[in-house]
Amino acid sequence: VAHRPALNSLIARLVPVVVLAPAAFAVAGCGLGSTSGTGSGGRVIHVVERDFKITAPAHVRAGHVTVQVHNKGPDAHELIIVRLKHGNRLAVRSDGMSVDEDAVEAATVASLEPGRPGSTRTVRLTLAPGRYEVFCNMSGHFMGGMHAQMVAE
Amino acid sequence: VSIRRGPVLRPFASGGRRTIVAILVTFALFSTLSVVLSIRATARSRHQASALEIAARQRTLAERYVAEVLLTRAGERADPAATARLLAESAAALLDGGTAPAVEGDDDETRLPAQTGKEARRQLVQEHLLVGDLIATGRALLADRAIAGVRLAAHERITATDPVMRLRVLALLTGSVSLNAARTIAAHTERNVNDLIVLEIVLGTLGLVTSFLLAFALITTTRRQTAHFQSLVTHSTDLVLVFGAGGCRYASQSVAAMVGAPENEILGPGFEDFVHPDDLPHLEAARAHGEPREIVLRVRNGRGEWRHLEAHVTDLRTDRRIRGIVLNARDITERVGLEEQLTKQAFQDALTGLANRALFRDRLDQSLARSQRSGESLAVLLVDLDQFKQVNDTLGHDAGDRMLEQVAARFASASRSGDTLARLGGDEFAMLVEGAGELEAGRVAERLLECLEEPVRIADHDFMVAGSIGIAVHTAGPAESKELLRYADLAMYAAKEAGRSTYRVYHHDMARDMGDLLGLDHELRLGLQRGEFSLHYQPTISLEGGEIIGVEALLRWKSPTRGQVPPVQFIPVAETSGLIIQLGEFVLREACAQTAQWRRDGLLPERFVTWVNVSGKQLSAGGVSARIQRILETEGLPADSLGIEVTETAIVIEGVAGDRARRDLEELHEAGVKIAIDDFGTGFSSLAQLRRFPVDAIKVDRSFVHGLQHDSKDAAIATNIVSLAHALDLVAVAEGIETDAQLASMRLLGCDHAQGFLFAHPVPARELGELLADRRRAA
Repeated sequence: VAHRPALNSLIARLVPVVVLAPAAFAVAGCGLGSTSGTGSGGRVIHVVERDFKITAPAHVRAGHVTVQVHNKGPDAHELIIVRLKHGNRLAVRSDGMSVDEDAVEAATVASLEPGRPGSTRTVRLTLAPGRYEVFCNMSGHFMGGMHAQMVAE
Repeated sequence: VSIRRGPVLRPFASGGRRTIVAILVTFALFSTLSVVLSIRATARSRHQASALEIAARQRTLAERYVAEVLLTRAGERADPAATARLLAESAAALLDGGTAPAVEGDDDETRLPAQTGKEARRQLVQEHLLVGDLIATGRALLADRAIAGVRLAAHERITATDPVMRLRVLALLTGSVSLNAARTIAAHTERNVNDLIVLEIVLGTLGLVTSFLLAFALITTTRRQTAHFQSLVTHSTDLVLVFGAGGCRYASQSVAAMVGAPENEILGPGFEDFVHPDDLPHLEAARAHGEPREIVLRVRNGRGEWRHLEAHVTDLRTDRRIRGIVLNARDITERVGLEEQLTKQAFQDALTGLANRALFRDRLDQSLARSQRSGESLAVLLVDLDQFKQVNDTLGHDAGDRMLEQVAARFASASRSGDTLARLGGDEFAMLVEGAGELEAGRVAERLLECLEEPVRIADHDFMVAGSIGIAVHTAGPAESKELLRYADLAMYAAKEAGRSTYRVYHHDMARDMGDLLGLDHELRLGLQRGEFSLHYQPTISLEGGEIIGVEALLRWKSPTRGQVPPVQFIPVAETSGLIIQLGEFVLREACAQTAQWRRDGLLPERFVTWVNVSGKQLSAGGVSARIQRILETEGLPADSLGIEVTETAIVIEGVAGDRARRDLEELHEAGVKIAIDDFGTGFSSLAQLRRFPVDAIKVDRSFVHGLQHDSKDAAIATNIVSLAHALDLVAVAEGIETDAQLASMRLLGCDHAQGFLFAHPVPARELGELLADRRRAA
C-alpha cells in the first residue's frame, strides 16, 4: 500500500529533481492509452488510471510489452491484468463487490500494488494472444468502473 | 629592514569576550530556531493526526449509513439521516477545516484545520463528492425513487443496476477514498517530520560549524596574543620574578640570562642562592608581606659579580591567575656605581686624591664641635704656592697639574695620619691639625715649607716652589669653620706680604694690619664707581654645527694702580666683603644690555644665550630672581636669551638661604631663564640634589677636559658626567678646550657644546659684535 519506510522517503527527498526530470519528460511525451515503440522492452502499452476509469488500448500486439501505468488520480490505484478464458467473465468474490484474485491467480499476468496519484509505474510482460481484463481491485473500484478490456493479437 | 605594520596588540580580554558572546548567540539563535520549528511541526502533526482519525472514521460511518438505510427499508428503527449529516459535516471539516462532529459513544468533537497538502486535498474533494453521491443514492432508495436518476458527481461508472448494490459500491468507494486520504495525510505528516529532521540537522550543523569557526578564530587569536605578550615579557631586559609559597615560581628569560643558570636552578628555593646574604631579609619581607614596595637586591651574575637590582614589588596573591608576589626588577648597577663615584668625587680632589673643600669643611666642622666639648685646641693651615701661576702660564695646565700632584704627595708624606690634608682649589692647600696649639702648628708649617725646598721636576725642568702659609688656631669656645678659614686666609696674605716661604699665625689685630687686603676691598668699591670693570665675552660653540650659540660673560677689572687683576684674586675679596652683590648686579645689567643691543642690531642667531656667572653669595642673599627679571624687563630682553651659571657649591647651600636660592632658581627657570651648573664634578654632594634642580646644562670642568688624554680617572669622570647629563636630559658643555685632540675626545663622548681658546678667547663686546657680524655675513 501507500506506506513507505521513512528512510526511503528521506532519500527520495534528497535526490535532486534534475535526475528525475528526464523521466518525467519521457512520460509527458507519450500519448494516453496508446502503444509506442521502444528499443529493448518491446512495445509500450500506456494505461491511464483515473477515479474511476481505466483507459487502455483495445488492441495490442502480442509478445514482449512494457506496460506503463499512469495514475492521474486523485486516488491511489492498483493495476491487475488477467487473461480472460471462459466467457470473458472474471470470478467475483461472494459479496459481489470485487474480483476474486485467488480464483484468477493462474490467469493473472501482472499485478501492481497501489500507485500514488501522479505516479507512473512500469511492468514488462509477455502477452500471449488473447483477451485481457485490466482493472483496479481496490475496495469498490472495480464495481465503480475501473476496468477495461484489451485484446492481444 | 622594513617593519611591517601589524595590528595593535591587545590583551586577550576584549576580542575574546566578543567571540565567546558570538558563539553563545549563535548557539542561542540556532537552538531557538530549532525549538520554534519543532513546536510548529508538533502542532501540525497533532492536527494531521486528528484529520487522519476523522478520515478513517468516514469508512465506518459510510458502512453504518448503508446498514441504517437497509434497516429503515426493512421497517426497523434507524436514523440514516443523522449518519448522513455526520458523514457530510466530517467530509466538509476534513477538506476546509472546522469542527468535525462527535460520534455518539465513540469520540468527541474535533477541530480540524483546512487541509493544505495538494494530493490530500484532491482526495478529500473526491471523498466529499462520494459522500454526496452516497447520501443522494441512500435518500433515493429510502424514498423509493429510481436510483438511475441520481446524478453521480465523482465520476463513478457503476454498471450494477441493483440499487442496494449501487449504494454498497458507493459506500465502499467512500471508505476506500477516505482511507487513501488518511494514508496521504499520514505520509504528508511523515514527510513533514522528515523535513524537520533534515532542517534540524542542517541547522545544527551550521550552528556547530559557525561555533567551531568562531572558537577556532578565538583560539588562534588568543594563541597569537599570548605569544605576543610572552615574547614581550620574555625578551624584556627587565627581570620578572614571581614568588609563591615554594619560593620562585616564575623567572623570565632575562633572569636566567643574567645569573647564567638554567631555569631549574632558579625556580623553587634555588633563587636565594644568587642573592647577597645581606639582602635576603629584604627579599623575605617582600615575599611575606608584599612590602616594601621597592627593594634593592644584589644578585650574583654568571661572572660572579654582584649586580644591583632595583625591584618593584607587587602583591598579586589575591589574583587567581598569579597567586604570588611579583618582582619587576631593573639592573641599576651602573647607576649605583656612578652615584658612588660622584659621592666620592664630591669629597675628593680628582687631581691629587686629597680631600676637597667640601670634605675639609665637613671635617673642620666636626673637629670644632669636638673641640668645643673637649676644650682641645686645633689649627688650620692654608698653603698657597707662590710660583704656581708662573708654571701654569709658561708650561701649560698639564705642567701645573703635575706640579700640584708632586706638591700634594710631599705634603701628604709630611702630614700625620690624624691630620686632614686637602686641596681647596687652584694652588691652595689646607691642613687641619687637631690638638695643635700655635707652637705645634708652626712646627707643622715649617715641615710643609721644608718639603718645598727641593725643586720640583717637571718635563726635564727643575722648578723652585715656594709657599706661603697662614695659620688660624682655635683654642676654646664656639667657632665657625668659615670664620676660622677666613682668619687663616688673612694670615696667609700676611705671610705673602712678609716674603716668600714663610708662615704667619692669625691674631685678632691682624685684620687691621692687612692694609693691602682691606685696600683691595676699598679699591674694588672705588673701581665699581669709577667704571673700571668691563665684561669680556667668550663664545660657546655647538659641537654639532660649529656655530656660535652663546657667550659667557666674564668680568674684567683694570685697576689704575694694579693693572689687569684676574677675577680669582679679587672675587674672593669681593665675596668676603659682600661687594660681590653689587659686582654681580653690574655683570647682569651689563650683559643683558649688551645682548639686547646685539639683538637690536640683528647679530644674534636663534636660541642665542648669554651666560652670566652668579655666585653662591648672590643666591643666598636672596631676591636674585626678582632682580634678574627686572633687569630683563628694563632691557627688553626675552628671558630665554639669558642663562645663569651657578657652581655646584652654590646650589647645595643648606638652610633658609638654600631654600630661598632654590626657589629663586626655580622661578627664573619657569620664567625661561636657562640654568647651568658650572665646574661640574668638583664639589657636588649628591646626584639626588641635581635631580631636584631646574637645570638645563652641565659644564664639564676644564680640569677633566685637560686630563682627558693623560689621566684615565679624569677621562672616566668626564665620560660619566656627559652620560649623566644626557641621562637627565641636560646639555653637556665642555670648558677650556685648547687642543684639537681635546675637541675630538669631547665630540666622541657626545658632548653638545664647547668653550675654549681653541675656538675663541674672551673678547670685548665690540670685537664679539664684529665676530657675530662676520658669522652672520658668512651664513
